[in-house]
Amino acid sequence: MVQITFIQPDGGQTTLDAAEGASVMETAVNNGIDGIFAECGGAMMCATCHCYVDEAWAGKTGARVDGEEDMLECAAAELRETSRLSCQLKLSSELDGLVVHLPEEQA
Amino acid sequence: MAVAPVNETLTLADLTRDPYPVYRRMRAETPIVEVPAARRIFLTKAKHTKMVKDDPELFSSDDPVTPMRRAFLAHTLMRKDGEEHRRERMAMQPAFSPKVIKTDWADLYRTIATDYLDRLPRGETVDLFTALCGPIAARILAHILGLDEVSDADMQRWSQTLIDGAGNFGFADEPFEKSDAANAEMDAVFDSLLDRHRAEPNNSALSVMLNAKNPIPMSQVYANIKIAIGGGINEPRDALATILFGLLTNPDQLEEVKRQEAWAEAFEEGVRWVAPIQASSRRVTRDLEIDGIDIPEGVTLMTIQASANRDEDLYEDGESFNVFRKKAPHQAFGSGPHHCAGAHISRRTVGEILLPMLFERFPNMKLDRAEDVVWSGFGFRGPLNLPVRLS
Ligand code: HEM
Ligand code: HEM
Ligand code: FES
Repeated sequence: MVQITFIQPDGGQTTLDAAEGASVMETAVNNGIDGIFAECGGAMMCATCHCYVDEAWAGKTGARVDGEEDMLECAAAELRETSRLSCQLKLSSELDGLVVHLPEEQA
Repeated sequence: MAVAPVNETLTLADLTRDPYPVYRRMRAETPIVEVPAARRIFLTKAKHTKMVKDDPELFSSDDPVTPMRRAFLAHTLMRKDGEEHRRERMAMQPAFSPKVIKTDWADLYRTIATDYLDRLPRGETVDLFTALCGPIAARILAHILGLDEVSDADMQRWSQTLIDGAGNFGFADEPFEKSDAANAEMDAVFDSLLDRHRAEPNNSALSVMLNAKNPIPMSQVYANIKIAIGGGINEPRDALATILFGLLTNPDQLEEVKRQEAWAEAFEEGVRWVAPIQASSRRVTRDLEIDGIDIPEGVTLMTIQASANRDEDLYEDGESFNVFRKKAPHQAFGSGPHHCAGAHISRRTVGEILLPMLFERFPNMKLDRAEDVVWSGFGFRGPLNLPVRLS
């Protein structure tokens, strides 16, 4: 198990234990976290699972995958350096304690 | 291991008239059921429809015998899988992003909406379905696609002709003769617009695809525009009509929606309640089992999002329209790789712009008689008329 913390635009926080190998998106959806819609179920076709990786973790989550950049361009909220599609972020032991921020809007 | 139960008596006419009581029974008694009238196995539970749409390797969109190919005179992205699908889809997607809608289109859409609302007669009964929902959906799409010069009537006629051809499962001649003629018209119009879009690149779908660094073949550019014409008019039209019906027949909810400006919620509830595209087909690529039922390779599954959207596992009293129900994800825009390319556009245009403008302009809009509204459709569903009195 690894820990992950979601921070809402209003500052509200939720910390969860998540399975290694699960994506950040799956973890959010399975635990009913507000602000991750994930309408395409992780197919990288909707950009409604957009999140910002916390600055402190930005170096550890690796590069965006092939095609992720193009889909991020289609996200509703502002695109930042730290923007990721949470369906493409897989949890591993190196990411134990990961913090992600949710955007103002997804759709 | 068991084979799927068979529903011998159900007809497509029953489903076209009112599928919802049928689906409710199926969810309770035979959630996975073969329907010979449709030559398909129906999946009616949300967990099954989503699982199938999310797994393109086991459940392919590639239908080798689809009438769609004949109607469009092309193999389109809707019926492709994998990399080829992604490449064609992403060629067009930037034109449909929420940011482009905000920066490039929102003001134009408000102007268009004002203009179309100005034309509506007051003090008499108007069929909003034909007078507003269809034409405005066509106008908005024309601009997004870069077909500004095309009339609402042509957009709507092309759309319906493509849909009739794509749904021509009996391969009768006449629908294809009509779609051939429409294809020729569309090709000629697209050809005539290329110079403008090359000279003045913009954020419309045609322009974005033409001026891409690494463009997809011209045949697929045209096929993409045609898919968007076929899939981008009737659904927002039906969604708008459905939401208006829901709000006008539930005045207490309408008042609360106005008070809270909960237009986005009204949009989501409308498309959940009656999904404009009710079902999507997938071909099974190997022998497998779903919840203990054998599903042989080659079978076509019909994932019924209309039913998934009222599934008791997710919704309390899903049969009724309730904007303020407890939130749960719906599948009106599908799921997986073929998730609707126009979802953002529809939310912004119908939910954010049209609904509030309409009720601001006509605050005392009344449905003449709810029982006069005729609903129809199995693959696609919505009201066929919406007689309202404006004031
Ligand atoms: C409320 C309005 C709409 C609804 C409910 C809707 C629904 C859907 C659904 C359910 C699918 C998936 C079909 C499948 O899984 O096989 C789909 C696909 C699609 N829709 Fe929409 N749609 C709407 C509006 C639009 C608009 C305005 C456009 C125009 C840009 C559009 C373009 C598309 C395209 C291009 C696809 C194919 C995507 C692919 O195969 O990758 N839709 N739509
Ligand atoms: C064997 C009977 C039929 C079945 C099982 C069936 C099922 C479906 C379904 C589920 C769709 C949604 C698109 C998709 O495949 O993902 C579709 C497409 C369509 N069907 Fe049917 N249908 C049948 C016969 C008909 C008939 C007789 C018509 C009337 C002309 C019709 C009209 C349409 C239309 C207009 C489309 C739109 C194609 C598109 O753009 O996606 N269908 N069909
Ligand atoms: S879930 Fe759709 S892009 Fe991530």
